[in-house]
Amino acid sequence: MNGQKLSVVGRGVPKVDGAELVTGRAKFAGDLRFPGMLYAVARRAGIPAGKIRGIDGSAALALPGVRAILTAGDIPGPNIIGILPPFDQPVLASQEVRYEGESLALAVAESREAAGRAAAAIRVDLESWEPILDVDQALAEGCRKIHPEGNITFSKRLVKGDVEKGFAEAEVVVENTYHTSFQEHAYLEPETVVAVPGGDGRVTVYASCQSPFHIRGHVAANLGLPASRVKVIQAYTGGSFGGKDDVATEIGCLATVAALKLQAPVMIVHERRESIVGSNLRHAARIHYRTGSRRDGTIVAREARIHLDGGAYASESPFVTMKALIHAGGPYHVPNVRVECTAVYTNKTYCGAFRGFGVPQVTFASESQIDELAAKLNMDPLELRRRNALRAGQANATGQVFAGSVGIVQTIERIAERRDRLPPVRQDRSAAAGAGSTPEGRWLYGRGCACLLQGISNGAEGIDVVGASVQASQDGSVLVGVGLTDMGQGSRTVFAQIAAEVLGVTMDRVTVRQVDTDSVHDSGPTVASRSTTVGGMAVFKAAEEVKASLVKMASLMLKCEEEQVLLEENFAVRASSANNPEVRIPLPEVCTAAYWTGFPLMHLAFSRAPEARFDHETHQGDIYIAYNYGTHLMDVRIDRLTGAVEVLRHLAAHDLGKAINPMGVEGQVEGGALIGFGMAHLERIEHEGGCIRNANFADYAVPSIKDRLPTETIIVEDPNPTGPYGAKGVGEPPVAGTAAAFANAVAAATGRRFTRLPIRREDLLAALQERDAAKGG
Amino acid sequence: MLLEFELNGKQTRVEAEPTLRALDLLRDVLGLTGTKEGCGRGECGACTILLDGMPVNSCLLYAAKLQGRRVTTIEGLTAEDGTEDGAEDGTEDGAEDGTEDGAADGGGDHACQGDCPPLHPLQEAFLAEGAVQCGFCTPGMILSAKSLLDRNPDPDVGEIEEALSGNLCRCTGYGKIIKAVQRAAGDGIKAAREPGPGSGAGKSGRRQRGATR
Amino acid sequence: MQYLRARNLKQALLQAAEAAGERVKFLAGGTDLTVQIAEGALDPTLLIDISAAEELRRLERGAEGLRIGAALTIAELLESARAAAGKPAESASIPRCLLQGAAAIGSPQIRHLGTIGGNVCNASPCGDTLAPLIVLAASFTLRSPRGSRVVPAEEFFLGPKATVLEPGEILESILIPVSHLSGRSAFRMIGKRNGQVISQVNIAVWLKRGRSEGAGTISTPIEDIRIAAGSVAPIPLRLKRAEELLRSVIPDPPLLQAAAGAVQEEIQPISDVRTSQAYRRSVIASLFTDVIGEVLEREGR
Repeated sequence: MNGQKLSVVGRGVPKVDGAELVTGRAKFAGDLRFPGMLYAVARRAGIPAGKIRGIDGSAALALPGVRAILTAGDIPGPNIIGILPPFDQPVLASQEVRYEGESLALAVAESREAAGRAAAAIRVDLESWEPILDVDQALAEGCRKIHPEGNITFSKRLVKGDVEKGFAEAEVVVENTYHTSFQEHAYLEPETVVAVPGGDGRVTVYASCQSPFHIRGHVAANLGLPASRVKVIQAYTGGSFGGKDDVATEIGCLATVAALKLQAPVMIVHERRESIVGSNLRHAARIHYRTGSRRDGTIVAREARIHLDGGAYASESPFVTMKALIHAGGPYHVPNVRVECTAVYTNKTYCGAFRGFGVPQVTFASESQIDELAAKLNMDPLELRRRNALRAGQANATGQVFAGSVGIVQTIERIAERRDRLPPVRQDRSAAAGAGSTPEGRWLYGRGCACLLQGISNGAEGIDVVGASVQASQDGSVLVGVGLTDMGQGSRTVFAQIAAEVLGVTMDRVTVRQVDTDSVHDSGPTVASRSTTVGGMAVFKAAEEVKASLVKMASLMLKCEEEQVLLEENFAVRASSANNPEVRIPLPEVCTAAYWTGFPLMHLAFSRAPEARFDHETHQGDIYIAYNYGTHLMDVRIDRLTGAVEVLRHLAAHDLGKAINPMGVEGQVEGGALIGFGMAHLERIEHEGGCIRNANFADYAVPSIKDRLPTETIIVEDPNPTGPYGAKGVGEPPVAGTAAAFANAVAAATGRRFTRLPIRREDLLAALQERDAAKGG
Repeated sequence: MLLEFELNGKQTRVEAEPTLRALDLLRDVLGLTGTKEGCGRGECGACTILLDGMPVNSCLLYAAKLQGRRVTTIEGLTAEDGTEDGAEDGTEDGAEDGTEDGAADGGGDHACQGDCPPLHPLQEAFLAEGAVQCGFCTPGMILSAKSLLDRNPDPDVGEIEEALSGNLCRCTGYGKIIKAVQRAAGDGIKAAREPGPGSGAGKSGRRQRGATR
Repeated sequence: MQYLRARNLKQALLQAAEAAGERVKFLAGGTDLTVQIAEGALDPTLLIDISAAEELRRLERGAEGLRIGAALTIAELLESARAAAGKPAESASIPRCLLQGAAAIGSPQIRHLGTIGGNVCNASPCGDTLAPLIVLAASFTLRSPRGSRVVPAEEFFLGPKATVLEPGEILESILIPVSHLSGRSAFRMIGKRNGQVISQVNIAVWLKRGRSEGAGTISTPIEDIRIAAGSVAPIPLRLKRAEELLRSVIPDPPLLQAAAGAVQEEIQPISDVRTSQAYRRSVIASLFTDVIGEVLEREGR
């Protein structure tokens, strides 16, 4: 794999599914049409907490076009979903309301409008309770229990070395408390499923989703069916970013219950408001952090206490907790680290997976600490990071040692090189002047940087397997199937590139099929930036097996040794040698011959990442197969009169092992960066009394084109032995890096540390005015 | 109400409730699901269609307002030659080189899954520049860009931003979208200035199919 | 919900008059109305579509001033300004603050469908054409089966989404008087982000300088000035105390600063989901400084 000349891998090829997307031909779940299809809309609680005294659907059922009103009693199975057992989330609640978006009943009708009217007409008798709205309230003695076991969802520790000893040695200590807010995924396509009874005892669920196997498992369980009778097909998915993990399962179950009861296809499409309120958010975090170092900048101890507000249900909280724990220490070699992370239930929209998955929150805190330390040491922030950055052979915060593919220093150096060539940041003269000076100029300029690491794939979250199939047809075309989903990140294209590279076919001969739970091994969710690494490896293996058949056949046809056969450009080639010229046979002929000779042309492969082995009390051990490392640099300009921020420059350097599709990498970095920027500057879910007040795209400020960043992607390749062609993923890391760099840039520009994200225009203006007032008076 | 309007170049007659949303008329009644619903409130632009060449949110447009107007959806985007399927040379799918999908160089800048329609320069540009990820915002984005380029063939970045300011994208970060519009504008200007040999007026779209850039 | 399409204004009024017992709403572009209906905030039983009525879409400069048809779309308004640029002042050119306000509305899609009349009648306190129309001393001609009446813009708004319009009454046109077509005006707004923004706060200023005796306009007094702000009160608010500080004076930095302070004090902002009271109060001073700077410095129109 390494060292050979690559023809397709490493090139920025356009998406294989691009043509159907730009023409509008691609069918997203909401575009599917089936004869007799019905529509279903959930009736939601509308209050954040309370007792369900009764649900009466009779009036709703009498409305025109309404076919059924379903409640919890209509669910054949246990009526429960979740990510990590024991599951705690009902599909339809019947006892208790735990958040305003709780689904209580489902109205099924002949049109969306009729279903919506029916849902509104369902009479629900609720006894309202005082909602539990924040972490401290939830943890207080005597607080009402949101779940029977109490209000702690999950709590874990990471212990490396001895932090007390470490802090005793430290000559300089910085300490602070940081907060991040709830963030909404805001994918453009709202959650959608269609459940279609097959008439053969099976049901097919078409879903906009990223975890088709989760859906299959929960649909089967809740319908009381064997999983082999449920088929889930991932429709083209209009973005997910972790948001369609749980909710696709929830509505998948709901649609299937309705479909099987009424023996008709049933579609559920969420409205935008419902999507924001009724599906998971990014955890809000409070992080108390302290960092100790020697005077020369060597960090000797880091300690963090993290509280995650996880809302009403557990969802991915256990895994987000673990990931936050593991990443809080940063990409540094620190001998003593102690992190405690606790996820807490509150009566708000539940929180789950969102690109970054706990890492953006802790990275913001960790990297703010590093800058605060640099300031105290009077050291260049980038140099401080370089001094402490992990090198190959060093133990990270979980004590894991990697022999290679630890590219953090390279990313720092690439950024430092660029920084050296940049003009110095403009200084606001008044910042240095004393009290009473008149601020000159309208703009404050600042530069910030940040380093990060992001573990690739499931790590400690459980078994890490992906199934893939590769099938060559007699005409030399190739069909690839993988259990991981493309939600826009381009995994289908990467899989096609890998198969094309291995089999020596051109990209136009490769088709990557839709994910279909019938056709590949259960591959878990498409999360954690694992598509390229673990998914790509499965494709690689399957393709290699098919290649073996083709090479064997070709060697017979070319009358040479197998080692002399090359597959390239849709040909099998026997390289020229001393006495013989090059001979080539079109690959379709080889495939046909292989079929007629009896060599297998399809292979199912299974890629399994090494299991995480670690102590569950201290989280010390080998947890991730690889880490992506990054360094970001951002220059900002702040309008002191309005608080508006312009990002003048954004450099994002990532060690991603190997860029299989450089254009795809840029797309992931640019897209992830803007989500990080939203988290740091523009986006904040506003709750009042447990209810979301800005559940729409006008009042929740998703960045528009005029808010975009000038992100420049810098690719560093330190090959990862566990990934195809050395690749690691890059979907998530840019989120954390951008948010943290922004916070540091703003701090540099204003001379003031902001410890709460998002740092909005109004926060900046208030802080600047406070500062000017203090100076002037 | 009987509605009569021009849809993607064809006169269309359809019976519909006047206050049905144009979005639903297109998607549910006429089966044109290329136009998407992202928010239903005119806040995201996923439902953008062109009405007499101007971008509007079809989720805010009552079907009655289509009466006598010229409507363009993503399905109506054609190659520059103006034909709906671009097949000018007599073959089934307009393939120039006799291969099944008309890819001029086999390795092609875009490999189609399934039949490959001739693409509008904007569609080509979006693919070539990596401006498409999940694709859900793409139809609306392309139509807003088309409306801009039809009126202003050589826009600067500010004008592109303004024209696309009503189309949200969560996947790409927008940078490549800007590049794609600039590329399409550049190609359009080049094509307008120098029609190639053997290609008469309006063939520039077909010239680009499968061409390497 | 029934739907009727009016060929002209007279027919629209007749249709409304004949619809006894119906809850009638006049529909122009529908960018606000369709959302309110979909959300259940409004529940009309009859929609009368007036967007085809030609007399509601005229843009004419006459002896009394500039008359803008209520059903003119925002984009048409902006386009006519582009077309009129460079033409003589007597043409139907549109005052700058109104153009800037119109350009700030929503997105291109909203601007191509939404109308100026719609923006006015929706009467959201953050509507971007409202403060400009107030400082331009605009008056609204309202038509009903009973006849017509003219209401000054300042008196038209009663509260959020509430106006003096009676059932069956239509806003026909907006007149900007000839007196306010001269002078200079400007508009500023700010929101949470850069694109497709709803105003957290906006402000418009119109002023007329006296005759200049010396070189340049810096030393001439402000003959008349009008200031209005949006999203700082239940209705777009005329800021008379700030105006008083600047009327008939030669503007100098201390006076402008005092006026900015007066603007801050006179507004009555609240904290809502869009932003805090504190931010509104702070940032409006900056917007005022910007906008007054533009009208004082700018040469020509």
